[in-house]
Amino acid sequence: MGTGSRYLPAIPVLLAYLILFGVGLLVPGKWQLVSQIAFFCALGQAFNLFMGMTGYVNFGYVAFLGVGTYGMALPISGLADKGLGLGVIALGLILAAAMSILLSLVVGAVALRLRGAYFAIATIGVNEGFRYLIEGARIWQGSEGIIFSSHLRTLLGREAAMSLSTFWADVMVFGVAVLAAMLTLFYVRGKIGYALAAVRMDEDAAKVMGINVTKYKIIAFVTSAALAGLLGATAWAVKLTYVYPNDVFAIHYTVEAIIIVLLGGAGTLLGPIVGALVYGLCKYYLAVHLPGFQLIIFAPLIIAIIVLFPDGAVGMIRKRLAGTPLERFVV
Amino acid sequence: MILQQLAGNLVQGAVLGSVYGMATMGLSLIFGVLRVVNVGHGAFIMVGAFTSLVLFQGAHVAPVLAVPIGLLIGMGLGMVFYYTAIRKLLQGPELSSLLATFAFGVILEEVVKFLFTSDYRGFSWDLGKVDMGFTVLPYTKLVACGGSVLVALLLYLWFKKTRAGMAMRSVVEDNVGARVCGVDVNWQYALSFSLGIGLTVASGVLLTMFISVGINPYMGGEYTLKAFVIAVLGGLASPYGAFFGGLLFGLMENGSYTLFAQFPGLEPSAMTRFFAFFMLLLILLVRPTGLLKVK
Amino acid sequence: MSGSRGARLVCTGVALAVGLGMSSPVQAQGLPGKIVVGHTEALSGEHAKAGEQAVAALKAMVKWVNTANGGVSVGGKKVPLDYKYYDCESRKESVTSLLERLITSDKVHFLVAPYSSGLTLAGAPVAEKYGMVYLDHGGASDKIFTQGFRYVVQTIGPGSRYHVGTLDMLKKLDPGARRLALAYKDDEFARSVMDGAEEHAKKLGYEIVFKRTYPKTVSDLTPLLSDLKAARPDIVIGGGHLADGQLFTQQMADLGINVRGLSLVAAVTLPAFETALKGRAEGVMGPSHWEYGVTFSKEKSQKAGQTWTGPSQDEFVKLFKEAVGKDLTPEYHAAEAAASLLALVMGIEKANSLDPDKVRAALGALAFTSFYGGWRIDATGKQVGHDMVDAQWQGGKLKIVWPEDAATAKPVVPKPPFR
Repeated sequence: MGTGSRYLPAIPVLLAYLILFGVGLLVPGKWQLVSQIAFFCALGQAFNLFMGMTGYVNFGYVAFLGVGTYGMALPISGLADKGLGLGVIALGLILAAAMSILLSLVVGAVALRLRGAYFAIATIGVNEGFRYLIEGARIWQGSEGIIFSSHLRTLLGREAAMSLSTFWADVMVFGVAVLAAMLTLFYVRGKIGYALAAVRMDEDAAKVMGINVTKYKIIAFVTSAALAGLLGATAWAVKLTYVYPNDVFAIHYTVEAIIIVLLGGAGTLLGPIVGALVYGLCKYYLAVHLPGFQLIIFAPLIIAIIVLFPDGAVGMIRKRLAGTPLERFVV
Repeated sequence: MILQQLAGNLVQGAVLGSVYGMATMGLSLIFGVLRVVNVGHGAFIMVGAFTSLVLFQGAHVAPVLAVPIGLLIGMGLGMVFYYTAIRKLLQGPELSSLLATFAFGVILEEVVKFLFTSDYRGFSWDLGKVDMGFTVLPYTKLVACGGSVLVALLLYLWFKKTRAGMAMRSVVEDNVGARVCGVDVNWQYALSFSLGIGLTVASGVLLTMFISVGINPYMGGEYTLKAFVIAVLGGLASPYGAFFGGLLFGLMENGSYTLFAQFPGLEPSAMTRFFAFFMLLLILLVRPTGLLKVK
Repeated sequence: MSGSRGARLVCTGVALAVGLGMSSPVQAQGLPGKIVVGHTEALSGEHAKAGEQAVAALKAMVKWVNTANGGVSVGGKKVPLDYKYYDCESRKESVTSLLERLITSDKVHFLVAPYSSGLTLAGAPVAEKYGMVYLDHGGASDKIFTQGFRYVVQTIGPGSRYHVGTLDMLKKLDPGARRLALAYKDDEFARSVMDGAEEHAKKLGYEIVFKRTYPKTVSDLTPLLSDLKAARPDIVIGGGHLADGQLFTQQMADLGINVRGLSLVAAVTLPAFETALKGRAEGVMGPSHWEYGVTFSKEKSQKAGQTWTGPSQDEFVKLFKEAVGKDLTPEYHAAEAAASLLALVMGIEKANSLDPDKVRAALGALAFTSFYGGWRIDATGKQVGHDMVDAQWQGGKLKIVWPEDAATAKPVVPKPPFR
């Protein structure tokens, strides 16, 4: 495979995001729905970067989103009257990524030594422990959280703050999703991808063959965490303009990420997009047409899908396409 | 004064811990035999709590007698869920069974919500209490504690002394070997799953003897998280290891309150949670497969 | 029926319709045939309990407005109300997309926020962007109103006021009780209650001997309550939500902590509290925005020179039960939602327009009394006209004991010991 054709699978992914973005811009009254789906896409894509490549389930993944949300909330609420304008938002993005990377290094040092379910549960421990530390030691105002809608207005003015929250935050979420997809492809098609494929098959054998397993695991883990931090900073902080610890450390979001990835197909590049579309649209239309009844319909639907398509939608398509010229476009 | 409080918290913690332990045994059993992580765990505890509530309010059945009924209801639910989905997912990716159990949990929550609304319910089963000087224990809590110990003991004996129990244990240790020795592995899977769910529902009944209020369709989430941690403390695949894990967790959670209460500016109730999860990480750092040996 | 007669009927019908359309000022102003109120509520998940109450109450009130009131008077015509709601599952991401659907696809005219401060905040940027009046029926945080939102209108009272009346009452009836313990749930709402109570207690000269919070998902309060017991308080105030309030009372009884006054927010005033705790509920008090049995009435308020609107309490309860389709008693969550809709209707009628800015301005100048009690907002949209009542369980019945002019029974102070 030439260098160029290695990255052919980027085409369908970018096309999918372009179409989604176009629908949001052109169809009136659907922008928030599209942005919700973009959030699910980004969540799935970023989660998949680590889980899909290593087979490890980071159950405490939401902690990185939560820390990222604080990374954005702190500069906005603290530097609102310094007249720095959009610079504060840029600073927030940097801080969000930095804080989640820092946390992921600490977590990784402990958890990446563990295997399988022990790893998954240790990461839950990190998430819950961190949240109770924030509440118990009253860090960042503890459970009172930070509400910074007014700060954002002081920073940018009413109109600009409003369009930042209701439009540009969503554009940034799209950015995170695309970034996550491109990094995934870059990793999968690079040295790290092959190394981690070996880990997925048999970690001990990979070690014996001289692959620096820990190094590659940490790279994927940290990248995935940094993307989560950016997602929290954009989709939760800039968009919703408030942060409560019990809300941003809710383990439910990790489960949501797993659902999205599995519906689409774990370890595939297009999978999270398909999963997010199926999940987001099902949720939305059930909430609209059967308010109060959607979960009781949705849950059996999930069971049916995973029983019928155990590899996820994209996983199945990939099997079908094996050996055809189209294969090059799907990872 | 402080020592008295500490003693009180440790006694209360041990009682609570035994119920935590009981509430985790089902999770460990299912993981040990099938390698399925039951994410819907808390929802089954909730079903147990409602079982106890309905029997007490509707038929004046004492919660202690509702424990075997809860066990049977749970085993029935377990069989249904096993044959509708889990069985087909055992060959698939590890995560798909995890997702299925999550979906079961959601289904149970929503069904219970439609049957009972999302009200917070409770009942009063009062047997009096014993004043120990440094703390007061209601007899219902002691019954819950005793019941948990008894169930753990029965499970232990069943695994060690009965043919059926040994067959199940053989699947945990070496499922190919068990197959060769003529153990019907598929049936063992079904049985373990249903027994695991049965134990979980029964523990929900026991829980109402400890706390008989705040019963609500969404009450389970907190117990799922705690059960995961407790299971790991106890070695993950061992049901009676889970029992000791629960005891330890209860002691850490309640015992550390007195410690954190000495520092101004801290909220000790939240810090005890932090401490319990922090200890989990510390323990995993030293022993990557939990505190108790898997055997 | 002959063909020609049918055709004639159709012709007359069309002529009538056209004629009415021409003559009606409503049509001339471009007003719609229906005023639609859109609501995204938490019908599943964490806040399902409150959401269910709010949706049923709004259905009941829409029915009252359309039948008893004949619709909303605007532009010289009675326009009926319509109500559309979706379920946001107590999830913040769902709020924005569902609100946008209500605004752009369903073309609703006014919005009702979901229950809780967090979810109310999640939807506020979208409501502000579209310039839609956004009725806050269940977001009690004071901070919502320091953010500079223009269209958020609160009906639930701010958290800091919850225990103020309670302390006044206890001070008056039991001046000997001086040692006060505060034990609240650790969330934004309960903390604002605690801060308000602490400030007021200091003014009244109480000695604060214990002040702690407990996490939202608490399952055992024994360590905290043992600590509280050691502080030997005369009065305990605290709480936060529903499950924890029941647990608080049960474990206080279990530990044998007897005090002269116990008041918890949220949980106590719901019927489920007594069902769950039986005799242990005796003498426990709780502040509330509204309770079934409060004695606000048309006659009383008119005598006092206030504007009265809405159904009587019994009418509301009847409509509520019809709307929910089962024998469910409305609680304060329901009454808050109902009162917010009454305010909206009065605001539209006063503005004589559906224009959000005009309606918002009219709401700002509005003051009225309904079965829920008083209603008035300040310039930021915060509720300042509603006084709380204090209720107490007496002999298995919930009685309103404070303020004296709304009371249905005398308070039992000091609280009898747990049985």
